[in-house]
Amino acid sequence: MKALGLSLAIVLAAGLPCAVAAQDVAARLDARVPADLAHAVQEIARDAAGRGLPVEPLIQKAIEGGAKGVPAPRVIAAVRQLAARLDEAQSAVRSAGTTAPSADAIESGAYALNTGMTASQVSELVRASRPPYDPAVTLRVVATLTALGVPAPQGLAMVEHMISERRAPSELLDLPSEVQAATARGATPTEAVQQLDPQQQGGGATHGPGQHGHSPQPPSPHPHKP
Amino acid sequence: MTTPYHGLVKRVLDGELTLADLPPELRAEGEDALRLLGAVDRAPVTLSPQLDARVMAAVRRHAQSPLRRAWRAVAAPREIELRLRIRPWALWGGALAAAAAVALLLGRPTTPGATPSVVAGVAARDSVFVRFVLYAPGAKRVTVAGTFNQWDQNAAPLVPAGTSGVWTTTLALPIGQHQYAFVVDGRRWVADPAAPAVGDGFGRRNSVVAVTTGARIL
Amino acid sequence: MSGDGATDGDIVRAVLAGDVERYAVLVGRYRDRYARYAARMLGSRDAAEDAVQDALVRAFDRLVDCREPEKFAGWLFLILRNRCFAEQRRRQREGRLLEDGDGAIPGPERSDSAVEQGEQRQALGRALGQLTGEQRDVFVLKHVEGLAYDEIARRTGATVASLKMRMHRAYDRLRELMKEHV
Repeated sequence: MKALGLSLAIVLAAGLPCAVAAQDVAARLDARVPADLAHAVQEIARDAAGRGLPVEPLIQKAIEGGAKGVPAPRVIAAVRQLAARLDEAQSAVRSAGTTAPSADAIESGAYALNTGMTASQVSELVRASRPPYDPAVTLRVVATLTALGVPAPQGLAMVEHMISERRAPSELLDLPSEVQAATARGATPTEAVQQLDPQQQGGGATHGPGQHGHSPQPPSPHPHKP
Repeated sequence: MTTPYHGLVKRVLDGELTLADLPPELRAEGEDALRLLGAVDRAPVTLSPQLDARVMAAVRRHAQSPLRRAWRAVAAPREIELRLRIRPWALWGGALAAAAAVALLLGRPTTPGATPSVVAGVAARDSVFVRFVLYAPGAKRVTVAGTFNQWDQNAAPLVPAGTSGVWTTTLALPIGQHQYAFVVDGRRWVADPAAPAVGDGFGRRNSVVAVTTGARIL
Repeated sequence: MSGDGATDGDIVRAVLAGDVERYAVLVGRYRDRYARYAARMLGSRDAAEDAVQDALVRAFDRLVDCREPEKFAGWLFLILRNRCFAEQRRRQREGRLLEDGDGAIPGPERSDSAVEQGEQRQALGRALGQLTGEQRDVFVLKHVEGLAYDEIARRTGATVASLKMRMHRAYDRLRELMKEHV
């Protein structure tokens, strides 16, 4: 009896987030998107919540579509695609050894995939991001570097190098603005990273201000397939 | 090729660690490194007494130039202030990441000497002021919409800064990662040219800003 | 120098309003403040003097752009710093390294160990001249001027992370160069 009661409690508890998510979705979409679109998104959200995925990004994407005047079928397709990305991100984070990924980590993983990182790159970075490094943060940093045009393997190598050097986590957060600053001065994103990261130089000559070195570089210590 | 200093030795040189913090096998390297630092020349340098006169001679010549006289005739304190806020380089990021929305660590009010386009500081305990800037000459109306305001294109209008075509606003954003875009004249959705961008899933691009605090990692 | 008790901001505003002669007060106040930085960046006192003079004149020309007149000193520093970088780039284009000039200021008679120290100091000065402008800049600000990374970041607008990266590369390069000296 006790065991049954316990199982029931677990089942009910598992069901609750879905119910809460559905209410939340309806309320958030009310008056922002057409009713049929809201209904479709609710279904997608319910399914996502059942798989342990965060629902907030899906709501945001639907609201965004509504605000931008995007036709309903396209919004639904985008929300579905986002749900699939979240799912893929969750798998990638799990395969790195995190049994119960946080919503933050999953969202960051989906963002990373959206910028062009691969699932295996996501897993690799999560594996490397042990405390005090939060994988949600490191994923966001590398993803943002990728969004700025830095090839993912290069951004990944840079952040992993900084982690191995036990640099302060706050220093990782400065990387995107550093790359932006360098590109504003005329460097390509690749050059920007090379200027910042001695490892990328492969131990070769350093570059002075205003110079863009083109000497051939030895292979990076972390070779990655694109 | 000489071996680079060990990372921990570099932190000793930075002053973050002491020799005593180094493992025994790194002590010799640490001492060697500190000896190098000890050779730094810190002697004060005095310049020639004639320097002042040379500078002022040049200043007087420049003060008499026609261009400068014309400037003085039109400059008023208010105009100066407006010009000071519009830095062309600031639109493109720069070393201070001053363009438009910014990824910043701010857990405290802006320190004195921060550049004009950098954010103003902490708005409330869990949010940070972020400044948005867009160069859109010819626009009649510019707003910014994003995840922080439910993509409401009327919630956050920008205001023109002078007559240069620059539009700006400052918003208190909650800690976290946000996507946004500018809306020009109520119909054109424009990504921020100086911020990282991602596909929005609808065939356009959104800009990304991450807002964090100084001490905490999200 | 006049015993002018006015703040930097007062003087900047007065100059902008037309009282050009007041600028002499600012010149007097700051002519030596950054001399050592300029000398270590450019390798000689003479080069430093040219740079400081140019920076002070340029600061006058652009005084309207000084957005916080009370912070004239920091703004002047940035002008001087840019001038030092520009000089460095010009020399590189011309294929010259920094001058191995009077890095060590001539002093009174010294003992043997002091002479040896002096030689080390000069060697390090030459080695500094072989760093990139940005590496030398952070090295001088931290280890000659004694500023913390936070302060350097505040003054220059670079982030602490990038400053540390440049500095760490500088350490390795100096180690390499000084090994050759030994």
